[in-house]
Parts: sequence; C-alpha cells; structure tokens
Amino acid sequence: MLVVENLHAGYGASEVLIGTSLTVKPGAVVALIGANGAGKTTTMRAISGVLRPSRGRVVLDGKDVQGLDASRIARLGLAHSPEGRKVFGPLSVEDNLLLGAYSRLPKFLGYKASARADLDRIYELFPRLKDRARQSAGTLSGGEQQMLAIGRALMARPKVMLLDEPSMGLAPVIVQEVFRTIRRLKEEGITLLLVEQFAKSALEVADYAYVMERGRIAVEGTPEELGRNERVIAAYLG
Amino acid sequence: MNPSIIGQMAVSGALMGLVYALIAYGFQLTYATSKSINFGQGELVMVSAFFSLTLTNLGLPYWLMVPGGLLFGALMGLAIERAGIRLALEQKSEGWILLSIIMGLFLFSAAENIWGRDDRPFPTPISADPIRVLGVDITRLELSVAVGVFAIMGLIELFKRRTLLGKAFEAVSADRDAAELMGISATRTVMLSYALSGAVAALAGILVSPITTVGPTMASALILKAFSVAVVAGLDSGFGVVLIGMALGALESLASFYLGSGWREAPGLSLLILALAVRPTGVFGKAVIRKV
Repeated sequence: MLVVENLHAGYGASEVLIGTSLTVKPGAVVALIGANGAGKTTTMRAISGVLRPSRGRVVLDGKDVQGLDASRIARLGLAHSPEGRKVFGPLSVEDNLLLGAYSRLPKFLGYKASARADLDRIYELFPRLKDRARQSAGTLSGGEQQMLAIGRALMARPKVMLLDEPSMGLAPVIVQEVFRTIRRLKEEGITLLLVEQFAKSALEVADYAYVMERGRIAVEGTPEELGRNERVIAAYLG
Repeated sequence: MNPSIIGQMAVSGALMGLVYALIAYGFQLTYATSKSINFGQGELVMVSAFFSLTLTNLGLPYWLMVPGGLLFGALMGLAIERAGIRLALEQKSEGWILLSIIMGLFLFSAAENIWGRDDRPFPTPISADPIRVLGVDITRLELSVAVGVFAIMGLIELFKRRTLLGKAFEAVSADRDAAELMGISATRTVMLSYALSGAVAALAGILVSPITTVGPTMASALILKAFSVAVVAGLDSGFGVVLIGMALGALESLASFYLGSGWREAPGLSLLILALAVRPTGVFGKAVIRKV
C-alpha cells in the first residue's frame, strides 16, 4: 500500500534521511522506532510531502507521489497526523474533524450532513470529543488534542495513515488510552505507519517494525524477531 | 465649540473612516493566509475605481458596474499574487514587500497613462441630499459607504464561518502545513485571499470615489491611513479595524476642522507611532499562545 525506496531528505544543506526504505502492506500496523534525531519524523514528513524529498521514491497505492504537494498526496489517500498534533486551535473541535474530510465534502453548504456518518463514528471512538464538539480545539487538554488529531486523520477515510508520536507529552494513563485506540483501529483493519518513542508499546501493537539509526533503517523484522535482537534490546527495549 | 458641529464632523469623519477600515480589512485577509500584505493596495483601490468609472461612462447601470468593479479588483488581486507575492513566498523571502510596492508603482504609471493625471468626478445615482438622524445630517452617499462596508465584511465573515471552504481558509491561517495535510491547497487558499482582498479594495474605491473624486494620487492618501488602522487595530480583528477606522476618521475630520486642514494627517500618524511604541501587536491583536 505504501512503499518507500531510498528516500533522501533534509533541511537546507543538512541531509537527515540518507536512503530510507520501508514497506507498509495493506491492513498492517508498522512501527518505526529509533532514538531522537534518527529521522523518524523527517521520514513521515518526506512521505506526506510536507518536506520535499531530494531523492528516492514514495509509492502510495501504486502511484508515485514523491515531489507532489502535501495537499495532493492527502487527496490521494494519505492521512498524516503530525508530531505535536497540530490541531487548528481557533476552530471548533467539530470544524477540525470536518476539515479532516475536506477533500470529500461539498465546499460550501451541506458538508455537515454529508459527514454525519463519519462524525458519529469518531464520536463513538472518542466520546469526549462529542462533549466538546463546539469548544475551540486550542482549549482542549493535550490528550484530547491527540484524540482530535487522530480523529481528524480518520475522517479522511485514508488508505494509509501516518501517526507521529501520539504519546508525546501525555500522562501515562492517556498514553494507554491512545494505544487502546490504536489496537481498536488495527482490529478494524487500518493501514498504519506509527512512529513512537515508547518502543515497547509500539512493538506490542505492530505487525512489523523498522528501527532507524542516523537517517536509515538499521534493523527490521517482526516484533518477535526484534525482541530477540540483542542490539535492539540494549538500545530501545532495555 | 458648538456640540452639534462636533457631532456632525465626527459622524461624517467616522463614515469616511469606514473606507480606511475596509482597506485595512483587505490587509488582514491576505495576512491571515500568507503572512504577507500588498503594499500596493492603495493603487489597487485607485485602478479599480478608474475601471469602474470607465464602466459607468460606457453606460453600465450602477448595479452592474459594482459587480464589474469587484470582479476587476479580484482579478487584479490574483495578478499581484501570481506575478509578485508568490515568487517571494516560495523562496521564504520577505521580497513580497518590495515586489508589491513595485507593482503598485507600475499600476500608478499605468493609470496615469490610461486615464490621465487629473482628478475626475465619479457619477453615482445615489443622491447627496442629507437626511437628518439624531440632529446630525448624513448624506445618502455617506450612508452608502456604511452599507457597502458592512455588507461586504459581513458576507466575507459569514463565508469564513459557515462554509467549508471558509473554514479551510481559517485552517490555513491557523496552521498552513497541517491544513495541507487535510488536502487543503495552501497555494489556492492564498490566491483566494488575494482575490477577496482585491474585491474589497475595489469596493472601497467605488464607495469613496463619489465623495472624494478619482485620481492617481488618491492611492497614497488612502493607503497611509488604512495602514495606520491595520497597525493600530492589529492584523487579525475585523471588528477592531471597524472601530479604529471610525475613530481615526472622526479624529481626522475634527483635527482638520479645528486645527486647519494641514493637520488632517496628524491623528493617523500619531496613532501609528503610538501603537508601534506601546502595542506592536495592535489593540485588538492576539498575543500568540502555543500549547506544546
């Protein structure tokens, strides 16, 4: 569903990614783990087009998408829930969710009626968002903002979802809740690429995992295989 | 001092001030989406007014001339975005400042060549007969300024709050990258904001010209005041520009009446300096709060 080949990208003169390759099969949850600064978030940004890759290929559902605008890639079926959540603070929770489905909805009026089923699904998944539907997103707690960011990405009914550091800055109880949600989405058959600091939790939910080191993939395998790899245990699971 | 004269001057001034507010509102529209403004906005007001005058002289009725003028303004806004602003923004440079000034100068010379250097009257079917409201004489012409300004600002605010495209506009203002991730094209949204800003500038020209006449130099007089209003009110409050615009218009008219017309520009410039010294984000500007 998503294939990344030999991806190079960076900021200005400094190259952060030096040939990252990975594959996400349909219906699989794939974890991308690694130390701070290894290039996990940069990989996500280069895939979704927020950052233009300097070299390499990104194939989404059979189409080459590297070099396209982020908005174009999003319309082709990729939803990226970015690091730091990036909800639209001044807009209401419901408006944030509706914008998640932007490309499918009528642009002037009647958009809410068209999105009703999707909204209900998100509210069922995150009942707290329903209570706060009219509140501006900037007033939500960090955990609620994370749920909103996930909900907003799901509203697009994406072919592939990228989820970057959903546990960042959240209390342990909330982190557990986030992972419960991810497990539920997995049961529903979502195709997900997950970047996580908490390697252990990420490997518990993943079907396959990649370990990044200094801009490229160092080790890959099923969670069981990585769990037996001494280097991975020492660096990330210890 | 006669209180009824003060009232009269203040009200006429405040109504004129709404024109400054409308031009300042045009700055806010493009600043919201792209953090850039068109420094040639005054020239945009002026050429749109000239174009509308030409439409009128061709025999177009008022109700057809207005949308024609607005459309022209919107197209000019788009042209300025495409030919100048975008080139700078794509390189993350502040070059849009200079580019928009240059395009303004270009429009100024073009107007002089096409329509001449003289100020010309702008015929309108709206009568200049005064109506008495609470002891103050207001002409229908002045009233048309208020109606026009509130109508277009109201429509644009309604568009931003009620339509999905308008919400996308707000999303790009809040976080451009995140909006792109929703499939919203930031480039197109910036284009839309420049088109709206151009239409708003054209309307300002159409509303003010019957009162002030049309001429190539009208740009510089208007733009300085609109700029003062935008800076004093801040670049994100539509309500703020209306309030500050009316206050500035009233002050100006009182200053020129009591101190002499040479002092007409003084209130605007003093306010501008004061605002930059005391509150650079503007009276109604929001200090940015970020949650991490």
